[in-house]
Amino acid sequence: MVFTLPREGTTQWLAKLLEAGEVVAPVRGPCGDVIFSTLRSPAQVVWDFENPLHPPKQFVLPQTDPLVKIKLNGQRHEVEPLHDDAPRTLFNVRSCDVAGIAFLTRMHEAEPADASYLRRVQNLTIISLACNTPCPPGFCTCTDSGPFLSGGYDLQLTDLGGSFLVEVGSEKGEAAMAKAPDLFRKADENEVTQRKALEAAAKTHFGPETCHFGSAMRRISTGRVQDELWEKMADWCLECGGCNFVCPTCYCFNVKDLRQNGTWIRCRTWDSCQYAAFTLEASGHNPRAQRKERMKRRFFHKVSAQYYSRDNMVGCVGCGRCIKTCLGTTHMPAVVAAIRKGKWHE
Amino acid sequence: MNDVFLPDIACLEKVRDETPDTKTFTLRFRDHENGNQFHFLPGQFLELSVFGCGEAPFCIASSPTRPGALETTVRRTGQLTDQLHKLGNGDEVGIRGPFGNGFDVQAARGKDMLFVAGGIGLPPLRSLIWNVLDERDRFGKVTILYGARTPADLVYKDELEAWGKRSDVELLVTVDVAEAYWTGNVGVVPILFQKVTLHPESTLAYVCGPPIMIRFVVRDLLTRGFKEESVISTLERMMQCGIGKCNHCAIGHRYVCRDGPVFNYHQIAELVE
Repeated sequence: MVFTLPREGTTQWLAKLLEAGEVVAPVRGPCGDVIFSTLRSPAQVVWDFENPLHPPKQFVLPQTDPLVKIKLNGQRHEVEPLHDDAPRTLFNVRSCDVAGIAFLTRMHEAEPADASYLRRVQNLTIISLACNTPCPPGFCTCTDSGPFLSGGYDLQLTDLGGSFLVEVGSEKGEAAMAKAPDLFRKADENEVTQRKALEAAAKTHFGPETCHFGSAMRRISTGRVQDELWEKMADWCLECGGCNFVCPTCYCFNVKDLRQNGTWIRCRTWDSCQYAAFTLEASGHNPRAQRKERMKRRFFHKVSAQYYSRDNMVGCVGCGRCIKTCLGTTHMPAVVAAIRKGKWHE
Repeated sequence: MNDVFLPDIACLEKVRDETPDTKTFTLRFRDHENGNQFHFLPGQFLELSVFGCGEAPFCIASSPTRPGALETTVRRTGQLTDQLHKLGNGDEVGIRGPFGNGFDVQAARGKDMLFVAGGIGLPPLRSLIWNVLDERDRFGKVTILYGARTPADLVYKDELEAWGKRSDVELLVTVDVAEAYWTGNVGVVPILFQKVTLHPESTLAYVCGPPIMIRFVVRDLLTRGFKEESVISTLERMMQCGIGKCNHCAIGHRYVCRDGPVFNYHQIAELVE
């Protein structure tokens, strides 16, 4: 079903959503940049923005994610699982980030299913905003995750100017509309046509970045990427881990105990496969001691056919954040192009 | 949906010094019901919590043929093992598991069993060794070749002595560097191959130890006619979750924690970093 929401109705709708729980949306941060943050009032939401550098991943997989509370009662330890069941709405998230969350959910659903993550997602409503204008570094057409989506959202909004077209993707989406049912009316044919035209136009407005995964996948999956090429590319990597932390699909983690108010909280914390200590064993042995080996690992996990057949998608949603964050130019499109051509750009 | 990170509580029942830096811990579930439901195979491992310090993977060194208490043998080599070594009888730890595939004991029935271990590589094999010895008539010849750096570094000294006395076990021990009182073999583990008769076609070889030892032992076994499928090892990797999620132990698209840690040499040769 497709509906229409007048632009002036968004404030009232957001107020209703805020009554029902936490709403996370793009807002202008203290220094003027746009970030995903918990909303305090509907007026904070920005509608015309370039996707924030940090994806909304942190709201489904926090950088420090509490898993178990450990208490010491005398000599006796008591452990209890920690759950985040708070109802939460992600509002105005972009198509690529919706695809990123779908990727993370599929991975956490795989046996043994991870209740800590899944409970958070079960209580999450995703209201996405389709991209009428693709962001400059984006290449989501190469990963089939934008600029408009055909699924994965609970509601998809399209900015038609004076109003928003609202596509319903799930019952959770219907429930979000039911918070303010009077604001929505059935969309007419004209509005649906307008949305299609906007999608077609958006596809012609992409920047120069492209990412042809096909032949890179063939080479990576069969080990046909020259060692010298990995070495050359790894020379440009600064091992900062930025690509991992801004990536909507990266999820590697550590498990640590943190002290908190007289108890211990066992947490999952983000880690980066580009750090030398990622595979360092207590014995001192490190199977991926060299940077080129770690870079090879990153792209095998993201691009290989072995992982593609497990995840049904490459580990990339074309958001272009690694392009923005990488000081060494060893981002996804550059590495995929180098593998395809057998040559680093230099 | 289970809380996959929630540990069960276990109490240390006994702590035994093996070498100057290695101890064997005997664990019993605080809630006996959890203990009764804990079924494992030799070669599987635990995520063991030292509360406040985190958790780390350790192989189960005791045999499933001796249920009740679990044993694990740990060398003091990092933050967590350092804290673990400070614990004593009655202290509590956390347990998640068992994880990993373990050794296929059923498939090994009727075969000659060759165990080759180096240093702290004996504990994972000990679980299988006791399983085999407790069901001795189901297996063929049992040969154990074990080496350590010095005589002081040999683990399970009492058991080595007991195995050495058994007529249904052939045990050979060697040390890299001998001390004055040592009257046994001196040299690296592969020298022991010259002292035993092997039947590669009917034997499964279980190899565990430091990477360099594994490399030389496997090379020797292959030259002596062992098939790659008959040489079985258990791999070690940095691990966090134990359930194939955190990616630390991934080799290609295989996960040592979930697809392993037991692999035969044919499978190991196919693993690509």
